[in-house]
Amino acid sequence: MTRLVEVPTQFDDRSFDQFAAAYAQATDGERLLFDAHAAEWASPYGLVGLLVAGEAAARRGERPLLTAPANPDVVSYWARAGFFREAGDLFEVHGKVPRTKPAVESDVLLPVTPVRAAEDVHAVVSTIQQRASAILSSELGLDPKATMGFAMALSESCQNIVEHAGTGGWVAVQAYNWRRKLARRVVVIAVADAGVGFRHSLEPTQAKRFGERWGDAAALEAALIQGTSRFRDPGRGQGLAGIRRYLARWEGKVAIRSGTARIAIVPRWDDDLPLKDGLPAFPGSQVLLIIPEQESGGGSSKQ
Amino acid sequence: MIPHIMVQAVLQQSVSGFYTDLVTRPTGRAVRENIERDLAPGTIAVMDFTGVGCLDYSCADEIVAKLVRDKVKVLLLRGLTEAHREAIQPVLAGAGLAVLCERPDGVLEGLGASEPAPALLDELVERRLAARHPGGSIRFPAA
Repeated sequence: MTRLVEVPTQFDDRSFDQFAAAYAQATDGERLLFDAHAAEWASPYGLVGLLVAGEAAARRGERPLLTAPANPDVVSYWARAGFFREAGDLFEVHGKVPRTKPAVESDVLLPVTPVRAAEDVHAVVSTIQQRASAILSSELGLDPKATMGFAMALSESCQNIVEHAGTGGWVAVQAYNWRRKLARRVVVIAVADAGVGFRHSLEPTQAKRFGERWGDAAALEAALIQGTSRFRDPGRGQGLAGIRRYLARWEGKVAIRSGTARIAIVPRWDDDLPLKDGLPAFPGSQVLLIIPEQESGGGSSKQ
Repeated sequence: MIPHIMVQAVLQQSVSGFYTDLVTRPTGRAVRENIERDLAPGTIAVMDFTGVGCLDYSCADEIVAKLVRDKVKVLLLRGLTEAHREAIQPVLAGAGLAVLCERPDGVLEGLGASEPAPALLDELVERRLAARHPGGSIRFPAA
């Protein structure tokens, strides 16, 4: 039997739970058909999230199907964003997919890129420094020195996959005008994997401490707010803390979804909830970082 | 003689491929292990970061914090960019550790937790590896 999983027409972190709910209804052995034919737009978060669903579905049963967006502009954009280069290995793709190479000069700062090992993180950091510097300083009004912090945040986000997921994942970085929410330019980093998730990763060292409260939400809280790590090494847990500091400096946002929970550090321009629990279960972890254009005179120098 | 460690050169020796960025735990571990091989325990060492691009928190911990915690008595950093300092400072401060770093004008100052830094400066002065200048600043090496 084939189960249909609809891809939201506007596919980003806001509509992700709708997608996750459809995905969560699947049972083992069912073949999944991810239907993106009506998709009008997808954020980097949506694209890497869709790949995660494809990988997890393939592990559970038959290779999933994917109907590509029918709109030529949309499918072309997904191709330029590097989505189909990765999707071809995971899905049986149906529909007209252009043979466009991932973009080298555009708002796609980093096309959808697999992250499996430390070498991949090196390549990602090197690429982003070459391409993001101009956009971060000229378009977002960030101090040129902030580019290095951006690369650090990206590195630490990707390392969560290498160190904790137990499998590979993907990263994508794009800049775009966020008219709906901010009426400003933003740079978005999305990192996702279909690995073990935060709860499983932290369970051996943290579950006892939380007692009955232990679950996906508690695990996310332990990792992002308290800076705990599954490793007992005293220097661990620096990565997410560093990301928080960087984003606080530039009024950015970080949100992490894992399992059935989602945690966010919410800047004043956003109305997201800091913690959501009881969401539809979704494999692995999905990290979202948003850095907005600075309102005037660049970012604050406060830590 | 104080060992001078050119971090960028050690990075090239430690990992395959040409990288200028010190990112990821495995890279940091490889670099630190390479450095440790030539360092006697309890030594005073200079690490020069000239030519290093991005330094992430994981590498700052894996290299700088672990060397200070487990291997060297005083670590003096030079060639640091502002971004390098931003990675190293919280990692050391969080662990209650400190290093000395040399500003472009040659003045030494503490980086990391504030408590251990004065003792590190005193150690260099006592060993005549650095000197107090008028106004209280300390420079390395002693002129």
